[in-house]
Amino acid sequence: MKIKTIALATCLVMLFCLAALAVTACDFSDLRQYYSTETFTKFDGEIERNVTIRVLENDTAISVGYFDELLDAFNEAYAEYGITAVDANMDSYTDLALDGPFGYGPDVLYQANDVLMEFAADKHVLPLPVEEMECYQYIPEAAWDAYEANIEGGIYTCGVPVNIQAPMLYYRKDLLPEDWETTYDDNANGIPDMVESWNALYRYSQKIRSETPDKYGYMKSLSDSYFALGYLFSYGGYVFGDNNTNARDIGIAAGQAEIGARIIQQLASVMNMETVDDSITLNSYSRLGDGTYFATMTTPDVYTMFIREMEADYTRRGYSASEAAAMAEENLVMTDVPTLPVNGDLEDDDAEQMGMTVMGGVNGYAISSYTKAPKACLAFVEFATSYEMVMLRNEYLGIAPARSDVAAELGGLSERLFEKLDAGEIVVMPSISAVGQLWDPLATMFGDIAEDAFRDEPKYPTLEALKRELQDTADGIYSAIFTLQ
Amino acid sequence: MRSYMKKPVGMLKFKKAADVGLTYALLILVGIIFVFPCLWLVLASFSKTGSLYSFDGFFPPDYSLDSFKTLFTDTAMYNYPQWFLNTLLVASMSCIIGTLLVILTAYTISRFEFKARKPLMKITLVLGMFPSFMGMTAVYILMTQFNMINNHWGLILIYSAGAPMGYLVQKGFFDTIPNSIYEAARIDGATNARVFCKITLPLSKPIIVYTALTSFAWPWSDFILPKLLLKERDMYTTAVGLMSLPETEFARFAAGAIFIAVPIVVLYFCLIKYMINGMTAGAVKQ
Amino acid sequence: MENKAVDTGSAGKSPAVFFGKVRDKLRAKIRGAAESVRTFFRTANSNTFASMCFMGAGQLMYKQWAKGLIYLGIEVLFIVLMALWGGEAIYGFFTLGLVRGDPWTGVEGDNSVVMLLMGILAWFVLIAFVCTYFANIKDCYRTQQDVAAGKCPAKFLDEAKGLLDKKFYKTVLFLPVVGVLVFNVLPIVFMIFVAFTDYGGETVPPELVSWVGLDNFEKLVALADIADSFFKILGWNILWAVLSTFINYFLGLGLALLLNKKCVKGKAFWRAFPVLAYAVPGFITLLGFKFMLSYGGPINQLIIEHGGEAIGFLGRDAKWMARFIGIAVNAWMSVPTTMLLATGILSNMNTDLYEAAKIDGAGAWKQFTRITLPFVVFSTTPVLISQFISNFNNFGIFYFLRGGLTLDGYFEASDTDLLINWLYNLSIDNNYYSIGAAISLVIFVITSVISLAVYVRSSAYKREDMFR
Repeated sequence: MKIKTIALATCLVMLFCLAALAVTACDFSDLRQYYSTETFTKFDGEIERNVTIRVLENDTAISVGYFDELLDAFNEAYAEYGITAVDANMDSYTDLALDGPFGYGPDVLYQANDVLMEFAADKHVLPLPVEEMECYQYIPEAAWDAYEANIEGGIYTCGVPVNIQAPMLYYRKDLLPEDWETTYDDNANGIPDMVESWNALYRYSQKIRSETPDKYGYMKSLSDSYFALGYLFSYGGYVFGDNNTNARDIGIAAGQAEIGARIIQQLASVMNMETVDDSITLNSYSRLGDGTYFATMTTPDVYTMFIREMEADYTRRGYSASEAAAMAEENLVMTDVPTLPVNGDLEDDDAEQMGMTVMGGVNGYAISSYTKAPKACLAFVEFATSYEMVMLRNEYLGIAPARSDVAAELGGLSERLFEKLDAGEIVVMPSISAVGQLWDPLATMFGDIAEDAFRDEPKYPTLEALKRELQDTADGIYSAIFTLQ
Repeated sequence: MRSYMKKPVGMLKFKKAADVGLTYALLILVGIIFVFPCLWLVLASFSKTGSLYSFDGFFPPDYSLDSFKTLFTDTAMYNYPQWFLNTLLVASMSCIIGTLLVILTAYTISRFEFKARKPLMKITLVLGMFPSFMGMTAVYILMTQFNMINNHWGLILIYSAGAPMGYLVQKGFFDTIPNSIYEAARIDGATNARVFCKITLPLSKPIIVYTALTSFAWPWSDFILPKLLLKERDMYTTAVGLMSLPETEFARFAAGAIFIAVPIVVLYFCLIKYMINGMTAGAVKQ
Repeated sequence: MENKAVDTGSAGKSPAVFFGKVRDKLRAKIRGAAESVRTFFRTANSNTFASMCFMGAGQLMYKQWAKGLIYLGIEVLFIVLMALWGGEAIYGFFTLGLVRGDPWTGVEGDNSVVMLLMGILAWFVLIAFVCTYFANIKDCYRTQQDVAAGKCPAKFLDEAKGLLDKKFYKTVLFLPVVGVLVFNVLPIVFMIFVAFTDYGGETVPPELVSWVGLDNFEKLVALADIADSFFKILGWNILWAVLSTFINYFLGLGLALLLNKKCVKGKAFWRAFPVLAYAVPGFITLLGFKFMLSYGGPINQLIIEHGGEAIGFLGRDAKWMARFIGIAVNAWMSVPTTMLLATGILSNMNTDLYEAAKIDGAGAWKQFTRITLPFVVFSTTPVLISQFISNFNNFGIFYFLRGGLTLDGYFEASDTDLLINWLYNLSIDNNYYSIGAAISLVIFVITSVISLAVYVRSSAYKREDMFR
């Protein structure tokens, strides 16, 4: 009988333990502790020795060999500390928020500002002591702004700008009419009109289409929001209010943005249906290369892609490799985007012109919060943003540097982009996390507007209809951001 | 019956010829439908420019072996040979373990009567309804806790462990094997383990081949799970690797895709002998 | 017993009657259980009670050394595991973390999501232990009854042998069950619990997640946008699943029958074409089809060359065309699988039946409807159901063909998106894990009830031995 009692007691104790567990399922919020960010000391003290840091670079930089040069130079310079930087060997779109906390992310990352700042919002990348860095004074305020975040009441800079990304017009010089200097240079400034103003480019595209139906003038996927937003910006539209920081104020329909939308429709009419999806984005390299397209718009970092395709086309037509290379170099021109008519009508040939505001980005380096060697990482970032390295980067990749000294040295387009950023003609991509909600609805909307040019019964025949569509999309984005919060 | 017999012989012959003709016409049509996209992919991989959009209609203007050459020689960023080996390891190991588990599970569920049987069947059915990616976060965290990120065996573990969920097809097959065969063996005093090895397995070659093929093909072409668990480029499987190629490298993509399709085709042609064997075995048994 | 439950509880009767029956049955069950517990306590001897105190003690007292030690070992292992890890993990399951980490200052902090998952795992271990504990008592009680009946306590070797014979299923099912529990059930349970937390949006680690009860479900009902999209998408999803399952099934079966015809020479050759399609990884096929059907793709190029106008096969306005293309592409990808399977099943058929049918003068069509079809349908009903499920949850097709579209009238979705695509948009693209989990739970309940009902009624389930 005694053992029976013990047995029953054991069972009771077990039951009690279970019950106790269930009871503890009450509110634990009182027990929760929070730490403030004041004790931030990761960059104080001596630099770490004998550490390896994993650096995530942009794929093109790796494939053209710039990254190897950078790593070699850095490793040589820091050999005395035993610091080695290596290729993180990861996908360039790796998700630091997912992998970082578990120790699988890179230590240093190179990315566009919107990507990096999304990480910064959840503190996955470290705030940097940028004022103490050598590059600080050379980089314009607008570029630094792209890396500023307001986190828990403090303003922090979480990345170091390296280069500016903004749309550029690419065109083929050999496809200009032979007598353009007399017929297509009204202001006699030595620059063909059709690459100077959208009105002229529109007219020229119309001409090409009517004379040679299998050739095109300006071609670009208009559903690509990154490029299409520029038209809205130029007429008063904006993405988020308060300098792209207030997600509650979505301004794609603000001002006279609908005029920009109409320009998109007009441009679509000189292209074909391929402008509605991303067909052109992918085929522009080979189509510009073989002369089917006269001009397109994209970022400066893909310059080499066009050159490659043009060379391929010239070799196909029987030129030697060196001739082809020289001809491609000669005939491909990358230039600033054309000007827009103030009244927003591409058909009005005498319209007064104004500069186009475009959307751009600032690519740069950031340091993962989960790195074991923050000081070594900082040293790497410092090294990679030095004058020599940014210069070298430009040599390899043809990027537009964010450093004023490099831009001044290079002159030309690099300097022009730098000035545009400084002057606010480039609207830097928003750096708040809500930006992730933009792309799908915007691409759908721009595609829909562009498709109107091919519809028998246009969906948006008037400016009012366009305005309404812009406003509807803005509302949709708003509800995507806030409905579930 | 009578009228059927009375039909003139010539009419019958004609009918038969028409039937054969129609059959072949259909087969050719089916062949074209299935082969054309594959052929297109093969030709695309031989494209000289590498870009899909320089094609004239469906096919590339110039052909060359360049994309295959770069696929195997240009390994600095996209180490295709390594990816291929990784995939081979993952797929073949998950195929072996997974097939074993599925066949055993299906056999047990089909042949044994036990209390948990019907509930188990219902539960697996219901579990399959859950959208799997919703559990991806959990799988990822689980693997970080077991230190299995960047580890091919972690992948193999997940593929094999999940395989028994798809036992239904195999169970259906085992259900059609007559009981009499088993009873005879049981009278001879064989244990259930022996019966399984000596009688069930030889009878089930077709279904084993089918299971092996599917449990090989899945890890072979899946990219969601490896993408989640493999972070280093050299650890990638081909599917993840190919998806990480920039869109302008289409010829390389197509070449890589062909190379990963080859083993499955080869496997099929090796295994077809067994399938035919299995068919005859199925035909004579009663 | 199970079958009876289904038969008596089937539809057609009023719910009151149905629930009344369920209640009566439950009552009877509880009464039976109480009775057996009472008998147990009246009759169990000290050895059995010893097993209740310490697992394996009773077995040791019956001189079943190996088994007793194994049970004891399990108990010790469990206690050590709980002390070192499990206790804290279960505590963490309730708190979901107390210290908020700060990656900037290096404060480690608690990761709520990890704690939730590990907590569930610890619950699993605990439940497994409780089951073993009861198995241990039952085992000892059985030995007691055996001894009382004058038999010797079972020898360890004999019992081990039983695992290869009568209890073979236990040996075999152990690994699959554990594997499925850890890698399939655990994530699902995790997602179910996530539906009751505020995980997602701004609340992702290092931020601490908390339990919020039914808030997420309330939101689902309260937000008209979401409820509206949900029903629209659900309707299309069901249509899609039914249509594509039947199309794939009958095309695959037809193809197998075609290849199975006596007059076809070189079966392996003809079968190679579909298998070729089957060998190409799915994502490659889908990307290929997407390109072919795009505005700049080869099909539109041909149309333009012949003087037509480009067609937006998958464009914004192409609602039904895009849906149809989805079904066709899905068929292209799935028919070979069904064909292979049907071939295997047809080869397993008894040819005598056909001979008999021929003698009776049955024509080809009759042979098909009377012999082939019942046999194939019988042995593939489970396949039909599993294909229905996989089609219902077919993520790839529209993700690759028409991903990234958000159309008017839908909240974060397009008119071809299936529920699973919508869930993906919500939870992966937009981070709303808890809402996504709540929606998937609702869908999960609906779909599993439907498919369970169909399955339980299917002849494959009721009369499994029809063709034995």
